[in-house]
Amino acid sequence: MASFFQYVVVGLSNGGIYATLALALVLIHRATGIVNFAQGEMGMFATYLAWSLIYTAGITYWLSFSLTLALAFLGGMFVYLAIIRPFSHRSELTVVMVTIALLVILNGAAGWIWSPQQKFFESPFPLSVLSVRGVVMSAQDLGVIAVSAACALIVWLLFRFTRIGLQLRASALGPATSRLLGIRVTLMLGIGWGLAAMLSAVSGMMAAPVVVLTPSFMLIVLTYAFAAAVLGGIDSPFGAVAGAYILGVGISLLSGYVHQIGPELQLPVALGVLLLVLMVRPNGLFGHPIVRRV
Amino acid sequence: MNVSVGLVGRLGALAALAAVVVLLPAALSNFHTYQFAFVGIYFIAIVGLNVLTGYSGQISLGQGAFMAIGAYTTTILSVDHGVGVYWTIPVAGILTGLIGFAFGFPALRLTGVYLALATFALAIAVGLMAKSFDGLTGGGGGKSLHLPSSPIGGVAWQVWLYYLTWAIAAALLAAAWLILRGEFGRSLRALRDAPIAATSFGISLARFKTLAFAIAAFYAGIAGSLFAITVAYVNPDTFPVALSILLLTGAVLGGLGSLLGMVFGALFIEFAPLYAEKLNNSAPTVIYGLILLAVLFLMPEGAAGLIKKANRALKRASRRE
Amino acid sequence: MRRALFALGAAVITTAVLLPGAFGRSQATPGVTAKTVTLGGTFPLSGPASSYAPIPAGMAAYFSYTNATAGPDGKRGAGGRQIIWKYYDDGYNPAKTVERTHQLVEQDHVFALVGGLGTEPQLAVRDYLNQQKVPQVYVSTGATQFGAKVATFPWTIGWQPDYQAEGAIYGKYIAANEPGAKIGVLYQNDDYGKDYIAGLEAGLGAKKSQIVDTAGYEVTNPSLLSQILELRKAGTDTLMIFATPSPTITAYATMAKIGWKPANIYVNSVSATQTFMGIAVKSAGAAEVNGSISTYYLKDPANPSWANTPGMKLYMQIMAKYAPSADPKNGLYFYGMAKAYDVVQQLRRAGGNLTRDSFMRSVRNSTLVGSPFTLPTVKTTTGPKDNFPISQQRLIRFADGAWTPFGPLLDPRK
Repeated sequence: MASFFQYVVVGLSNGGIYATLALALVLIHRATGIVNFAQGEMGMFATYLAWSLIYTAGITYWLSFSLTLALAFLGGMFVYLAIIRPFSHRSELTVVMVTIALLVILNGAAGWIWSPQQKFFESPFPLSVLSVRGVVMSAQDLGVIAVSAACALIVWLLFRFTRIGLQLRASALGPATSRLLGIRVTLMLGIGWGLAAMLSAVSGMMAAPVVVLTPSFMLIVLTYAFAAAVLGGIDSPFGAVAGAYILGVGISLLSGYVHQIGPELQLPVALGVLLLVLMVRPNGLFGHPIVRRV
Repeated sequence: MNVSVGLVGRLGALAALAAVVVLLPAALSNFHTYQFAFVGIYFIAIVGLNVLTGYSGQISLGQGAFMAIGAYTTTILSVDHGVGVYWTIPVAGILTGLIGFAFGFPALRLTGVYLALATFALAIAVGLMAKSFDGLTGGGGGKSLHLPSSPIGGVAWQVWLYYLTWAIAAALLAAAWLILRGEFGRSLRALRDAPIAATSFGISLARFKTLAFAIAAFYAGIAGSLFAITVAYVNPDTFPVALSILLLTGAVLGGLGSLLGMVFGALFIEFAPLYAEKLNNSAPTVIYGLILLAVLFLMPEGAAGLIKKANRALKRASRRE
Repeated sequence: MRRALFALGAAVITTAVLLPGAFGRSQATPGVTAKTVTLGGTFPLSGPASSYAPIPAGMAAYFSYTNATAGPDGKRGAGGRQIIWKYYDDGYNPAKTVERTHQLVEQDHVFALVGGLGTEPQLAVRDYLNQQKVPQVYVSTGATQFGAKVATFPWTIGWQPDYQAEGAIYGKYIAANEPGAKIGVLYQNDDYGKDYIAGLEAGLGAKKSQIVDTAGYEVTNPSLLSQILELRKAGTDTLMIFATPSPTITAYATMAKIGWKPANIYVNSVSATQTFMGIAVKSAGAAEVNGSISTYYLKDPANPSWANTPGMKLYMQIMAKYAPSADPKNGLYFYGMAKAYDVVQQLRRAGGNLTRDSFMRSVRNSTLVGSPFTLPTVKTTTGPKDNFPISQQRLIRFADGAWTPFGPLLDPRK
């Protein structure tokens, strides 16, 4: 029974990493209708910036964390205004290609600037274990769960209860109308991208202690985040977060208990889920059905 | 008068291209001929992709996965079952086409980026399955085929493979052109541009979209088979997700909706990484990504679109005289 | 008409660009002139495996040093010939390896391929190179088959101690010293991991039953928890980690997170450089990592105990002069340099009349001693019955941030 809880805790921890990135994907999709293939790499790049701040500049962890979030916000806004917006009137395919080009550029740039060598990135949480009635849980896993839950909560509060949140939602739902109401839509969309970039940065900084920092370390996380976002509903922030936790725990339990689904099949299971959901219920568990009025 | 001039112009271009293709090996070293054999292989793959993404508007990030299926078919049949390697080419094409057709059904419910995601997942999944079913595929260690050899004495194997590839490419190009100019092509374009109107006219979305997938997969299967024969080795790493992305990139840059534009796309796929490396050895990927962005921005309809524009500009200039 | 002109124009441009390379030089021995010898190789300079990119750079540094420094015969270069070193990126994609290798052989006319990296990439070109009788020498992988299959592929040979031999060292040591140990194996689910297991079982011999559990993982797994838990549940007290560097670090971290420390941990040498162990210590805590056992055959530039040896000083000097922007503590530069040293010795040995035959004969039947880069007294030996150039290693134990050797120099292949 003890290992059951261990699997659940690790599943929630991994799920939290996917959830934060999935939330970023959903934010961008809701705001600008784009699936950003470069979301993971934006988080990766931000994590490398954090690495430089902590290990080259010697700044303490939480200060570097905050600075990185600020830089990520600016970076996200810049990417939207300078790279995505010029393509906003083009076909869906072109925009997909643009985000892929961005993925390639960020991946190459990180390898060039910081070298592809494995690097250590610390976890802000201590390396201790908590023992609750015989179940051993690591403080790091609990910390990641807390951080990702906090991110989801903050995003929810932002959108629900603040003016900016309202403006962001309006800009996404009806840009033309919002402009008529005096909302600076372009700025709002840029802020949306900035927020998403911040979430990606958090995801990266939580994942790096687990997956060892290299330029490609977020690609696997991105794949799982896609599966989670699709599972929960790519238009539903709540769905994406829920989907990520479900996926994380589900895969963790499956790989622990069902021996047929051994190590080789963890990723294919996630992909299978992705494909299955796309076919059976494309709007995910919690998303809204896509209705097209003719 | 204008129509016949346009047709003559087109046939002239085609004839010039054909002449170049036929004569090229005489002017090139064996190694460069070998590289152009790869251009031919990529050309076949992206013509198929063009039918799917350009004409029927379905974004696919899985063309590399279909190539892998064709390549493994050829490898398993020729290495494990002694089938003559050239006989496996049509088998690989048909088998892959059937799998593409099967994939097309569930893919019907998906559009746009959802389909892109699903095909992206397919690309990853095929690689993983090739690794898992190692009894069949040789797993991570892969399988080696016989080194390519020319059945015609005195002709270098590179030259033989070049002509084989381009002969098949020419036939498949003609087939694609014939399929697309008829009702099939018109229906596909109608479905792409105005799906609701087209459906209400009675065009069966299901039939045409799944057929488009089958065609793309068939072409990719043939390309993959030729790829296996040329490289003489397959394993999951030879068909990474990056290949699917590269194929889509080549198709977009060549100009979706233009079959001949795919020549440019294929040239890009083969030679762009090499030149990116020469430009900057430590950051070839960055250069490559920047080139991609620039081309996407400046040439929205790809190389074919650029030629069209230049053509029109020339026509206008000549009319003013 | 205009379209035809455009098409023709494009074709002319393409041909003009490529034509210059069309006519190769025909020579008695490709890649060799009176004054130069051209070597080639393929390496993953981009993509997920690009952390190995320092290897050809380390080789380049040593070749540059050789070209500038008078050798034992009083001449600069290898046997009076300047080494030209051409290497290309294959991104660890065997199809690219095939294409770039063809380029090296048919367009660049290299004399020999040296140090090519990756088991599958090098397998993909093995048939071709042997058919063309081009040396495929000192490939950068420990896969046992490159030494085992020399009879079938006489132009191909490895260099470093192979994985099976290393596994056998662990097996023999455990069988002799810890007869009651319960061995659990965490392995990468491919030929790399399986080679190690085969060696371990061979080394254990009759004591094979000491292995209580093996747990494989894929490089795409985000977590190793289920494997670690399974191994613990099976009663493992001696853990073998047969994994590449990143998962090895993750394994240590995962064990620390669940509060498990097996009595003995053996970690494969590829992942056991000072750099990786340093990251493991930071991720999992020193307590988890201390006591780990591995093997090595080269000195480690990140280990201060070698700093004052002539070999390490030479390495640092060469790196400072020929690769000043590189981080010399990265053991992969060192590995490249050690390999390049052997290549230069073989070129010199092969004689003034350098042919592919004479080179290969030397590589397959020679004893090189006195390398400044290997452990003291380690030799590069080959012969009619020995196709594993370097097979000598020493067991090492990790404590307080550094490896210390113990026991004698072992040679599982003799």
